[in-house]
This record gives sequence, C-alpha cells and structure tokens, in this order.
Amino acid sequence: MNEDLRKRIVEMVCRGRDGHIPSAFSIVDIIQALYKNFLKYDPRDPKWDGRDYFVLSKGHGCLALYVVLERYGIITRNDLELFCKKEGILGEHPDCTKVPGAEASTGSLGHGLPFAVGIALGLRLRGMSNRVCVLVGDGECHEGTIWEAANVANNLQLGNLCVIVDWNGSAAQLMPRDDMPGKWRAFGWKTTVIDGHSEEEICNALGNVDFDCHGMPAAIIARTVKGKGVPMLEGHGPWHHRIPNEEEVGKIMEALA
Amino acid sequence: MSEKSMRQQFVDTLVDVGIDDPDLVVLVGDISHFALQPFAEACPGRYYNIGICEPTIISMAAGLSKTGFHPVAHTIAPFIIERAFEQIKLDFCYQQFGGTLVTVGSAFDYSNLGCTHHCYGDFALLKTLQNTEIIYPGSPPEFDLLFRQTYQNKKLTLFRLPGVQHGYGFDSGDIQLGKGIKVLSGSDLTIIATGPQLRNALDALDKLHDIGLSAEVIYIHTIRPLDTKLVRDSVQKTGRVLVIEEHMRSGGLGDDVLRATADIGNVRYSSLSIPDRFVTEYGSYREHCERLGFTPEGIVSKVLTDLGVGPRKEEVRV
Repeated sequence: MNEDLRKRIVEMVCRGRDGHIPSAFSIVDIIQALYKNFLKYDPRDPKWDGRDYFVLSKGHGCLALYVVLERYGIITRNDLELFCKKEGILGEHPDCTKVPGAEASTGSLGHGLPFAVGIALGLRLRGMSNRVCVLVGDGECHEGTIWEAANVANNLQLGNLCVIVDWNGSAAQLMPRDDMPGKWRAFGWKTTVIDGHSEEEICNALGNVDFDCHGMPAAIIARTVKGKGVPMLEGHGPWHHRIPNEEEVGKIMEALA
Repeated sequence: MSEKSMRQQFVDTLVDVGIDDPDLVVLVGDISHFALQPFAEACPGRYYNIGICEPTIISMAAGLSKTGFHPVAHTIAPFIIERAFEQIKLDFCYQQFGGTLVTVGSAFDYSNLGCTHHCYGDFALLKTLQNTEIIYPGSPPEFDLLFRQTYQNKKLTLFRLPGVQHGYGFDSGDIQLGKGIKVLSGSDLTIIATGPQLRNALDALDKLHDIGLSAEVIYIHTIRPLDTKLVRDSVQKTGRVLVIEEHMRSGGLGDDVLRATADIGNVRYSSLSIPDRFVTEYGSYREHCERLGFTPEGIVSKVLTDLGVGPRKEEVRV
C-alpha cells in the first residue's frame, strides 16, 4: 500500500506548508508501480535517449511523482525537504526545466496528453521504440483537449502511447453521467479497467499493452480513491488542498502505521 | 509586386528546406492542405493535417520539439494565436521548446469574414511570452530568408503572412533577423512601417514632399527583437515619428518604438494603427484600409495633425 511514500508526502506538505495530499494518494500506487516494474530509465541520466516517457498530466498530483523519483534515485532526499522552499526545485506543480525526470511542466489541465501525442509521434518518426505513458485525472477529462488528443492519437494509430486515467470520481461529482471506459472505447482506444491501488493489476494491465508503434493506443482506466489509505482524507471533501495540523498529522500517521 | 503569393512562397520554402532537413515537420489545421501537398510528397511522413483542434496542434508541435524535431504549425491567425494561446505559453515557452508558427488571416485580411476571423492583437500577445520572435514579412523573399534564419534556433517564432504584399524589392543581404531597413533617408520626420503598409508609406512621400517635408522611411519586418538602434538613430535625428501597423494600438510596434525612444526627449509621436475595438464593418481589405486611414492621404493627415509640422495651408494637397 506504499504507506512509506504516503507518510513522506504528508511530511513534505507539513514542511512546505502547501500541497494536494488526497490527489497524490490517489495516484501514488500507479506511479510507484510504473517506476518499480515497467518504465525504462537511467537515474544517472534522466534524459537518456532510450528511456520511456512518463507524463504526469494532472500536475497537482506531483507529490506522488516526487516521492517516487526520490525512491529510485532520480532526485534527492534534500530536494524533497526543500519542497515549496525558495531554494528548492520542487513546487506544487512540476517544472520540467528544473526537476530531473519530470517530462512536462503541467498544472493547467488538459495539456499533458496532447503534448504526449506529439512525443509519441516524434519517437515513431525517429523509428524508436520508447514507450509513452500519460497519467490524466478523470476531472481533467472534462477538458476538451483530452478528447481532441484522444481522437488524433487514434487516427494516427499511435500504439506507443498509453493513457492511465485516475478514475477517482472527481469528474462524477459535477457530471454524474461518467462512463469513462465507454468514452475511451468510443474514441478507438484499447481499454481496460483495473484497481488503481493494486500493484498486480497495474502491472498486468501495462504488460498487456502492445506498445506497437502503428497500433491502437491503450487506455487503462484505474479505479482509485482520492485520499486512499487514510479514511479521514478519503473522498471529495475539504482535504483537497488543506494542510493538516499537528493533531491531524498524528491521526494520519497512525492510519498509515 | 512579386507574382508569387506569400502562401506559395511558404510552401516552396518548406519543400526546399524539408528535403534537406529531415527534422522539419509540418502540422496544419485544415488550412493550406492542398497547397502543401508538394511538401507532403517531397517529405513523406512529415506532414499532418490534424484537423480543427488548434490547441492540440500546438501541444503536439511542442511534443515533437521535445523529440528533436523542428515543428511548423500553420492555420488561421486567431485560432492559433488566440484560441491556443495557453498552449503556446506553457507547452512551448514555459518548457523552453523551439518551433515556428505561420499564420494567415491576421489583422483584417479576412475582411468579410468578420471579427471571428480577425486577429489584431497577435504582436501584443506573443510579446508577453519569453523566448519568442515575431516576424511580419511583407514580401516572399523576406519569408524565405527569415524562415531559414530562424526555424531551428530553439525559439518560438511567429510568421504573420499578410494577404497583400508591399511590392518593394530589397537586396537579400539586407534581410536579417532583428534588423530594420532604412528605405529612404529624410530629415523632418521618421515613418516606421511594417508589413504591406510600407507601400502606403512610400506612396505618401510625394505628397509630403509637396508640402515641404522630408520623411525618413524605416521598414520593420522583425517586430521582435526590434532593431532599436535603427529606430533611435532616426528619431534622434528627426524628432518626429509616425508608426504604421495593421495591429491594435495597444501592444503593437508603436508601443515598442515609444519605449525605445522614451529617453530621447522632445519627440513627437503618432500611430496609424487599428483602434482598440472590434472592426465590425464588412467590405474588402482595401475598403477596411480606407476606413481606418491606411492610405497615403491618411498618412499625410496624421503627420499634419499629430506631429507638429504645419506647412502653409495652401500647400496642403491631401
């Protein structure tokens, strides 16, 4: 359940006095599984030509990316400790000009997927077999550019591209008719639905994607819980962008013990 | 005037450059699709008509730039500059990627299509972003030479292709990024023109001469970076400057000229530009020009009313 990564996220938020804890808890298991089991990368050379590309399109979930990048040696513990500090490189949204391993500067929703479509097309044009994975939020799927990009990727048959949707119910709060898998299928993507907190299901789903440069793009719809792991943080309440006080930190850490 | 249209030069240059440079990739939003077929044939796999989704075209172009390509994105000015502005801002400029945007239909070139298809604020918008260049080529050779100078320089460069040309021929050696051109020396006032309005500036010279005024004419094809030295040297000499541009008054070339000359002192300034409002009237490009004063007569009138150069009344023939 990656309790250690979740604890580190809470510590960063308390030290930096900012951050989106529940959004990060929603996706940390997915990002951890990607870096542990799937993506090719070189921690000593984050821009290695042979790497796979991971684009975190829902940039406000970046705490989850930061703690995983630190775990696998791409950024340092000191970087984490300087989260949101004037001398640090880590802010509340990732800046790819500063953060090793961050492939895109995201935060404004709806940019990461079309940007990744361009990356996937570029890699295919170069005859390279690198894989491109993009993590988008289900609320982010309200943005029209997600569906522009979905349409283009299907028409270009960019099979080296896989989108993972963090389907935590944010979208359905506002627009309850929310057949997320049906939408991606309708746009021509090979679509599977998994438990986004199960490492086994995440890895199996990624392993089943062909990543054929001229095939169907793949969509993994990951059922997740916003704030997963700490009952008081779960759901769509006031914790979206809140810093816990000392007493609340104690309760969170207890739940993660 | 060149027999070749600006759009044809755009195609010819892309074909010529693209044959030699395998990293040139072109994305369009269903504009110039048929015109660009020679590029598609000459450079297989590097031409994409993405359709009516301009923000995605810009984001994709930035993604291509990340993988080392030199992307060219092309469609109608308001849809690429105004609709996709955040994609230009974040995906290209914030992330520090280079690429080229080529627009048609800027200002009121698509005059009868109405305000949905006008774009008079593009200079102003692009100037708010770092790492950008803005080029308004008024003749085909300018596009050809300046595109070759910029397309792989890792900046985000806008080429605003006008619907009509100024018809003036320059030595190719004079066409340099960021360098203005002194077309004519004069002593009483400086006229700074960009794009097709160089033609009206030149056509106004006889009328100005008739009323005893010697005008220096400076032509600007590169709005950003502006050749401030050429501008300052001229304005320091004449003490009067009129800027002519098919752009809104706010944020255009005129603002940069004012900033560049603000410390000179005792300079009379005027601007012949598009008012800060929607141009809701219909009619041809030429009729829009006449309505807004983009004519030789309009230039003389501006000089007389705004620059403090009054000849004897009987000498005025406008």
